[in-house]
Amino acid sequence: MCGIIGCVGRQEETLDALLHGLSKLEYRGYDSAGVALAGKRDAVDIEKRAGKLENLQEALEGVEMAGTVGIGHTRWSTHGPPTDENAHPHTDCEGQVAVLHNGIIENFQEIRDELVASGHEFRSDTDTEVVPHLIEEALAEGASPEEAFRSALARIEGSYAIAAIFTGTEAVFCARQDSPLVLGLDADAYYLASDVPAFRDYTDRVIYMEDGEVACLNPEGWAITDRSGDPIEKEPHVVEWDAEETGKSGYDHYMIKEIHEQPRTLRECLRGRVDELGDEVQLEEFAGLAPPSTVQFVACGTSYHAALYGAQLFREAGIPAQAFLASEYRTSPPPIGSNLVIGITQSGETADTLSALREASRRGAPTLAVTNVVGSSAARECDHTLYIRAGPEIGVAASKTFASQLAALNVLSLAITRSPDSREAIGALRDLPSAVQEVLDESRSEAVAKEYIEADAYFFIGRGYQYPVALEGALKMKEITYKHAEGFAAGELKHGPLALVTERTPVIAIAVGEGDAAQKTVGNIKEVEARNAPVIAVTDGESGVERYADHVLPVPESHPRTAAVTASVQLQLLAYHSAAQLGRSIDKPRNLAKSVTVE
Amino acid sequence: MSVRTAVVLAAGEGTRLHPLTHNRPKPMLPAANRPVLEYVLDALIDAGIERVCLVVGYKRDRVQEHFGPRYRDAPITYVHQEKQLGSGHALLQARESVDGPLLVVNGDRVIEPSLVSDVMRAFERDAGPAVLGVIERPNARQYGAVVLQGGRIEQIVEKPDSDEYRLINAGVYAFDSSVFDAIAATPRREGELQLPDTIAELIDEGDVQGIRTEGLWADATYPWDILTVTQELLARGRVDEPERREESRVWINDSARVHDDASLQAPVVIGADCEVGPGAVVGPTTALGHNVTVGSNATIERCVLDADTRVGAGSVLIDCVTGQDVDLGSATVGSGGPADVRIGSSVFENRRLGAVVADRVHAVGEASFAPGTLVGPNATLHHGARASGRVAAGAEVVR
Repeated sequence: MCGIIGCVGRQEETLDALLHGLSKLEYRGYDSAGVALAGKRDAVDIEKRAGKLENLQEALEGVEMAGTVGIGHTRWSTHGPPTDENAHPHTDCEGQVAVLHNGIIENFQEIRDELVASGHEFRSDTDTEVVPHLIEEALAEGASPEEAFRSALARIEGSYAIAAIFTGTEAVFCARQDSPLVLGLDADAYYLASDVPAFRDYTDRVIYMEDGEVACLNPEGWAITDRSGDPIEKEPHVVEWDAEETGKSGYDHYMIKEIHEQPRTLRECLRGRVDELGDEVQLEEFAGLAPPSTVQFVACGTSYHAALYGAQLFREAGIPAQAFLASEYRTSPPPIGSNLVIGITQSGETADTLSALREASRRGAPTLAVTNVVGSSAARECDHTLYIRAGPEIGVAASKTFASQLAALNVLSLAITRSPDSREAIGALRDLPSAVQEVLDESRSEAVAKEYIEADAYFFIGRGYQYPVALEGALKMKEITYKHAEGFAAGELKHGPLALVTERTPVIAIAVGEGDAAQKTVGNIKEVEARNAPVIAVTDGESGVERYADHVLPVPESHPRTAAVTASVQLQLLAYHSAAQLGRSIDKPRNLAKSVTVE
Repeated sequence: MSVRTAVVLAAGEGTRLHPLTHNRPKPMLPAANRPVLEYVLDALIDAGIERVCLVVGYKRDRVQEHFGPRYRDAPITYVHQEKQLGSGHALLQARESVDGPLLVVNGDRVIEPSLVSDVMRAFERDAGPAVLGVIERPNARQYGAVVLQGGRIEQIVEKPDSDEYRLINAGVYAFDSSVFDAIAATPRREGELQLPDTIAELIDEGDVQGIRTEGLWADATYPWDILTVTQELLARGRVDEPERREESRVWINDSARVHDDASLQAPVVIGADCEVGPGAVVGPTTALGHNVTVGSNATIERCVLDADTRVGAGSVLIDCVTGQDVDLGSATVGSGGPADVRIGSSVFENRRLGAVVADRVHAVGEASFAPGTLVGPNATLHHGARASGRVAAGAEVVR
């Protein structure tokens, strides 16, 4: 999981364009960064540093770097610790080529042993470094830079978005296999990057590269070919996202900005899709799609929690549905039958989810992607796509995209199951943006977070639709506060975890409505109260749970499905204010990356 | 010297507009379906301003969330005024964010671009340290009155007692950067630093130019002004939504759903995701914000209903303003002004106001509002309840 950028045609501004691009890609990884410049000169200049991008920027002060083409990289370690040596770009023995890479080269050990045996010297622990040495071998045999680049690609197996520059050559070469790569086309400059924001300030015309494609960018233009060198015709897209939408606009962190955006992003998600007076939900994308007989969801992390929730929606509509962790699905696939397989991935690039979807597709299942990113791999590869329309999310811990995933799954299940008795659910969806606004206007989460800042651990419990919310609440808490937090189905508490509950472990219980799920959760709360644990109830007040709670984080009275969204907003705020109190790096928690494009 | 940066003062609460400003600052109140502050930024950008510094304070999340890091192509810097200690103090907060000459404007009044460009041109022509936009208004007593003589401001009087003044301070200024020192040197009054006090000091030094301008200048000081501001904007066609047919003066968002048997009376604007049921009559002079629901056979006339308001079947609302997420059950009645309305310690007689219903008020059904009623946020009206006068936030009204 890393971010890459490259550019051609910016002359003396090349380094600035690379650094600007890297700053926009930092969300993809931030344990080291590096840049390389080349051009007509007989050298490639490289500078790279472990740590945040600022370390590289400091190192660059007072250093002369020249070149009219360049590449840059921000790294999230998979092979070898974050050190200056392991930072990209990597070079061959002679320094004729600089290479950077996002992904994993699976057969690198074999190639490395072979290259070491023939006298190549390796300076890093990375899998990537085999590539420049392979290129060096080919150059030594008289190949042109482009031929050498292709011959290295032919040797490596695994996933990659890879880019290379050569001494004396005004061009950047790049290729894609199972890792995101997109080209940006300006009038007289060309870019490549892992993601559009890297060059969005310069151009909105982009080409998404497909697996197996190789591109060459030079000052005269760009060309895309297949692996064997045959040209491929591609039309640029125009992207609508404004890169500046990624500014913090007066907030301390992206995460709190994104939490506050939720009323608006939910409106976007629901726009034109919900018709309350007509008592129906409309999804033009799926008009004519027959109701599935069974559904399997595949997802990771926060999206997996959305998948658990989505599976419940379908089951309630009478359709058997299960949620699977994408990595497990790929490793031990369940019988697929006549399932519709739905992959949920915010970025549309999550390697585990893509891999599970490909497995499902290979076995003949129709696939559907629920994603935030137009033109992402998931959107392009699946038979159907539902966009959640949440806009770019920069905070590594998902917030608004989780809310929009839940809303989109409601729309999806209502639209394709054609379930009767949907009137209340449809009305609740229309009221959802204002219900979230009410939570944002009135939440007391900051005071509650302060009171329990010294806690040993936090436990989150819920039943039914609130169970995935409990899991997500715990994930938020652990991601950004680094404190121990765990979510449980409320009924499971007494089957083990209760042993962990003390007066120093607040239990956050979600109980909404007055139904069976809420009443039983109230029973579980009494169990923890008897162990003197502080209880924080997230409730609409219908179940009487507040009598047993030390604090209440209220949510407006609504349908249990939409209350799951308002409850999760309270939990986002609780995690955010706890982390802010602890002074954590909220937008870039340690060891994490926004979209995980390695398996 | 050309002016490219504007400081917009948007930190104030707007206490005279209670209870509508419970959850947001005055610049974010709606005017024909857009926050007032959008018109202000439009005027600035249309007049050539390239960079905006927004001074935010009271409920600043609402401003930051709405505008984000840029508006149209102009980057926005946010400056936080933690305590609202007057307009001069607000401007002083922007000191570190601004270089060179600056335009200063209040964020809570709808203005025309010409007003901004007149002030900018006067400043650029004369390079004076201060230029103040002046406009003629019949109700000068509510504002800062000025005396203009030969292009110079001779006197500025805040809320004068007499009716002799016709010209007022339009709240649009151009300054060179020495204004910050002048504010810092102005004595505080009751702990507050007011920009007009600094202007008064500059007048004593003979340094304030005044420029007469005209055009739309719409200020909502009191709750009933929300209705007249929208009325003025609809009358001028200053509406963002697409017009249904040319000259129809019915503006309706593409995602709104209006039943074939509902009637829309021009001028009227219908926002995104609204639903209007069969037999409903909406308008004239009405704005339905985002995601508003009007039930079947309801009548909505000369109203401003803000986002997420629900009006039940068979309701009648005339001269009413609702906040966000107001839920009025079936057969709710607010039959319109005129009324005597108490704001603070003053009583305003004969105002055309049905009711002002603040955010998240819930009326169960068959409730009614006496003319001039102000209902605080989160209040509940039980079945058949009749509200009048002032209903406190969170109160329950029973029959």
